[in-house]
Amino acid sequence: MNSCVAIEIEHPQNPDGAGRTDELSSAKRLMTHMSDATVMLAAIEAGDPKAAEQLLVLVYDELRRLAASKLAQEAPGQTLQPTALVHEAWLRLVGDQNPSFKDRAHFFRASAEAMRHLLIDRARRKQTQRHGGNYRRVDFEEVDLAAPSADDHLLAVNEALDKLSVEHPVQAELVKLRYFGGLTNEEVSQVLGISVSTAKNYWTFSRAWLLNEIDG
Amino acid sequence: MNGDSDREIAIFTQALKISSQKREAFLERSCAGDEELRRKVEALLKAHGRLGTFMEEPPSGEAAD
Repeated sequence: MNSCVAIEIEHPQNPDGAGRTDELSSAKRLMTHMSDATVMLAAIEAGDPKAAEQLLVLVYDELRRLAASKLAQEAPGQTLQPTALVHEAWLRLVGDQNPSFKDRAHFFRASAEAMRHLLIDRARRKQTQRHGGNYRRVDFEEVDLAAPSADDHLLAVNEALDKLSVEHPVQAELVKLRYFGGLTNEEVSQVLGISVSTAKNYWTFSRAWLLNEIDG
Repeated sequence: MNGDSDREIAIFTQALKISSQKREAFLERSCAGDEELRRKVEALLKAHGRLGTFMEEPPSGEAAD
């Protein structure tokens, strides 16, 4: 995990209080968060190191909320689609405020990192449950119990990714954006400021590197 | 460090475009006696050969089909 990131994963703070679904308060919350996100993006651009962390927490919270409602609506076995979640979070938190190109980049970096946390946390919880934990279905983490191998695979990729980031930081960032953030090659190339063909080459390289690390 | 990373990626990327018969000579030439680099690139090429759909599905896409 990125050392500059500290998210309360086990007991996420819910400022609205548990179970409150009042529409008015939900709309109010969203408006507050929208302006929060915009302020944070501006602060990141101005070089405030704390703002990046704050944005990450905000995005994590929103993604988690979206994921929970998605999984509650749909059939068992439904999985989380990073692309859809990240783009929905973007619309909800930043919307059509015509953000700058740099704001988009900051947002997608934060959302890829948040999505990574969310998916890894979920995979770890499911793994813990399988190893003798309880099966009480109280949260979205428990709703969809996928094949054990899928979670093990995800955790192995994540661990290898930490190693990749030591030797090849830019390529590891690309993997986060593409794999965990669900961004396209075009979006990734914009965020990282590289050409689309370079992004494709880095992706191929990173996949080979990670596979070799996992079972080389 | 960054230079090493770039070089490794560049050689790997280029090697993929070269037929397997000519690859040996290409690696010999471009790694120029750097055994560590050559070992890394060769391991990557081997891994590339068995990539299949590794990581092409979204991380939670196991139940998609």
